[in-house]
Amino acid sequence: MGSRLSNIILLLTLAALFFFPRFVASPYAFHIMILLFLSTIVGTSWNIIGGYTGQYSIGHAAYFGTGAYVTMVLMKDKQIPPWLGVWAGVALVIIIALVIGSICFRLRGPYFVLASIAVAEIMRLSAMNLKELTNGAEGILATELPAFRIGGRVITDFVSKTPFYYISLVLAIVTIVVAFLVLHSKLGYCFQAIREDQDAAHALGINPTFYKNAALVISAIFTGIAGGFYAIYVGFVDPATVMSLDISVQIVLVCIIGGIGTIYGPLIGSILIVPITEALRSNLIAEAIFKTGMVSQESHFGSFLKENLAHAHALIYGILVVLVILFMPEGVVGFQRKLWSKWNKGLG
Amino acid sequence: MPSGMTVFFQAVLSGVLIGGIYALIGIGMSIIFGVMRIINFAHGDILMLGMYLSYYLFALAGIDPFVSVLIIIPIMFAFGALLQKVFINRMLDALPQNQLLLTIGLGLIMSNAMMLAFTSDYKILTTSYSSASVTLAGISISEPLAISFLITAGITALLYWFLTRTDTGQAIRATAQDAQAAQLMGINVKRMGMIAFGIGGALAATAGALISPTYYIYPQVGSAFTLKAFVITVMGGMGSVVGATIGGIIIGGTESVSSVCISSGWKDVVVFAVFLLVLLFKPAGLMGKSRM
Amino acid sequence: MTKRTMALVAALCLVFIDIARADNVKIGFINSMTGSEAPVGENLTNGVTLALEDLAKAGIKVDLVKEDDTGKPQVSMSAMEKLATRDKVAGVVGPYTAACGNAIARVAEKYKVPLVVPVAAKDEITQQGLKWVFRPGAISYDYAEIVIEMATALDKPKTMAIINENTDFGISVARGAKAVAAKKGIQIVFEEAYYKGSPDYRATLSKIKATNPDLVFMVSYVADAILLMRQSREVGLRPKAFLGAGAGFSVAQFAQEQAISNYVFSSTQWTQDAKWPGAKDFGKRYEAKFGKQPTYHAAAAYEAMMIMAETAVKAGGDREKLREALRAGKWNGIWGEVKFADYDNFTNQNKHQMLVEQIQNGRHETVYPPQQAAKKPIYPFPGWK
Repeated sequence: MGSRLSNIILLLTLAALFFFPRFVASPYAFHIMILLFLSTIVGTSWNIIGGYTGQYSIGHAAYFGTGAYVTMVLMKDKQIPPWLGVWAGVALVIIIALVIGSICFRLRGPYFVLASIAVAEIMRLSAMNLKELTNGAEGILATELPAFRIGGRVITDFVSKTPFYYISLVLAIVTIVVAFLVLHSKLGYCFQAIREDQDAAHALGINPTFYKNAALVISAIFTGIAGGFYAIYVGFVDPATVMSLDISVQIVLVCIIGGIGTIYGPLIGSILIVPITEALRSNLIAEAIFKTGMVSQESHFGSFLKENLAHAHALIYGILVVLVILFMPEGVVGFQRKLWSKWNKGLG
Repeated sequence: MPSGMTVFFQAVLSGVLIGGIYALIGIGMSIIFGVMRIINFAHGDILMLGMYLSYYLFALAGIDPFVSVLIIIPIMFAFGALLQKVFINRMLDALPQNQLLLTIGLGLIMSNAMMLAFTSDYKILTTSYSSASVTLAGISISEPLAISFLITAGITALLYWFLTRTDTGQAIRATAQDAQAAQLMGINVKRMGMIAFGIGGALAATAGALISPTYYIYPQVGSAFTLKAFVITVMGGMGSVVGATIGGIIIGGTESVSSVCISSGWKDVVVFAVFLLVLLFKPAGLMGKSRM
Repeated sequence: MTKRTMALVAALCLVFIDIARADNVKIGFINSMTGSEAPVGENLTNGVTLALEDLAKAGIKVDLVKEDDTGKPQVSMSAMEKLATRDKVAGVVGPYTAACGNAIARVAEKYKVPLVVPVAAKDEITQQGLKWVFRPGAISYDYAEIVIEMATALDKPKTMAIINENTDFGISVARGAKAVAAKKGIQIVFEEAYYKGSPDYRATLSKIKATNPDLVFMVSYVADAILLMRQSREVGLRPKAFLGAGAGFSVAQFAQEQAISNYVFSSTQWTQDAKWPGAKDFGKRYEAKFGKQPTYHAAAAYEAMMIMAETAVKAGGDREKLREALRAGKWNGIWGEVKFADYDNFTNQNKHQMLVEQIQNGRHETVYPPQQAAKKPIYPFPGWK
């Protein structure tokens, strides 16, 4: 794509996103956008260790959950506002990433994957059992946030979704920018060398342990921040919600579907998955079908749809993943690039 | 026997009995890995399919779960082989991580299709012997678990005989040892892959049927078992049937004893910690290299 | 009639239907319709169905908007938000589980939507001074108190083992049980919170057996209740009584597993034998329509829906008026007398009379307190066959 054209599209998109709240009032629309940004953040951060460095961790819930819990606990028990508490979360996440890295990076390929899963599960189970710390399986509930003040003036008291929208939008942009900078820096170059052939890279003087850990730490930081944000947005955390294997798998799937190892892959993957998931889960699609009048709510098929469409979202994940891996292993972005270059060749 | 000891031995015995079923799951995954070098993330979901099959055979046709194993084995063998032929076969040269992700996707499809079809309500299969037990020296032995253990032992023995004494079995082992050499010797490696997946699937589903009288059945039940299967397979040595058998029993026992000595909340942590230790210090497993 | 006329008539009809529909007050209903809690959740759905029938008969028309929370608190919160902001309901009835109830109470308060929580038992739900949350059902302490009280009325038990699910409900009732035991001079010889979904309680039950308790107090939802009893039989655990705290132990599915469920006591908020107006008829009607005995959840949901719908229609669908009317109102139906009051540190909490039932011959029978009982309790536990 021409560089100018793509820059214009980028600017227009950004403008649209920033002015979105002016034109849309539905809290539901905000909710979907916020989830979209969240998914982009975690996907893009995973990409740094997974797509660029080739280490497929399926245990990122460990960082997401840690960020979530630390932010929540500090807010609830010590009244520390979340915009400060999240940094404590980040500090803890960095330590955990280094520890996990030291254990898991000795293993290669699928063994690394399994180890990352085991570590994340140990963390989840610990969160469940260490009741004094995390309130165990009951989870932590905190739906009131302190007002955000600058110099005595209240900027927002977090009652509406608008502040959450802007925060997550900015976080998503920052994460993508960081990913871009990393990719085009020496760090990124070393990451990719390790992905292509770890031993050859080592022979060339690149220290795999250092770079793999660096990638993991960067990835973990943004995932942890996303976790902290999720916690205060939803107002409830428990081990099953923020530390489960499901979360780790979802993070990876968004990248695979969108395009692993590309900047916009996770964003595209999120755009594909999040709105559909939410629309299905909240019965919006079922309601739309009923509105067209083609199927009545009362009919057998109608009530089947109503009861079950909401649960179809994970099935759609699965189908998308299988299709993408079999036929578009570079994800939607990679596929689109191939199409584009074929089209260009056809023209030229 | 002093009561502390009774409790301990009770835990060991229950653990070993459940371990037999775990072993079955582990063996299936081990064979698949041995022959195809693929970590099958959908293994637990195949187990789940076996559970549902046995539930409906019982509820609709009155077939006892242990008897239904005879029906389930051929059906799920075909299912496994089909999965391999349609999906896995295309991915033989892909990155191992991608193969793993493919199996994750397949697992998601299986568990969520079942959820759509049968909702995620828990189903409980009660047979006349679901809570029966025999008491020996103050230790009670669960009847359904004991029977499962015997059936598992039988199947494992049969499998061992198959792998060592039949031509197909030996061909499978050859493929596991060195796929290229096996191909040069005229073995149809693709077909071996299908058979391996078929066996793996049949074993996982059988384990599901064997557990069904004592557990509860719901679409997401598979993932916990998949994780256990990984642990067992790695412990026993990827590709080793004997290793997976021993691994299964060890994991079952460890789980049970941790439950008693520490608490039921921490037992899985112990299992995963053992897993990590084995991965780090003896990644080839207790039995060493790929040897069926 | 020409096509045009028909179209005009159709359009007019639609307008009228729309106006008529616009008149109906909308009530939200959040429940665990699928997931592990679904077998009990079904009772709430059925109770609400019967309520809607009775409301229609009385000429009270409401539009019900159903949401499934699958038993997960965060889904419950999303559902509550959707009902409050998108569907703009006048009020909400639900949810089922204690964890979900706790989670959405604050959401209801935030959006100022009256919420009637039928049965979720966690004490904290009405201990936070929330103005918009009302609970006709009992608190978790009550679940423990009634059944232990019965045990001490029948005998002088000295020791008790507690095994509870590691959830909001399990933990709060277990806490209540400890407090009640302390008051009655019963020693707790064992206590463990198990985490839901483990298929194997044999080790824990063996440990309990080794302490030889007089009473075994259990708090579980239905799947674990069945497994716990199965495995209790297997390891040969034989206390003087098994005391269940409602939830899983109150469900017909549990009672049907006669080999393991017979003689188990369970505290309950309602049975058909209760001497409350219409209770018996409700039970008969439920069994005739749905093929099984109702649990207390069904009755609670029925009454909650009746209260909510009647009051909402009277308040013209206005949330503030509805809240005031709920606060001021008094009802006396199948759930007995309902009055939302502030006492101790509870807000908008109804003081509900608990009962104890026991499974005899595969059916739940009311056995305590004596004024409400239909049959005599069978104590001590006669042993496994």
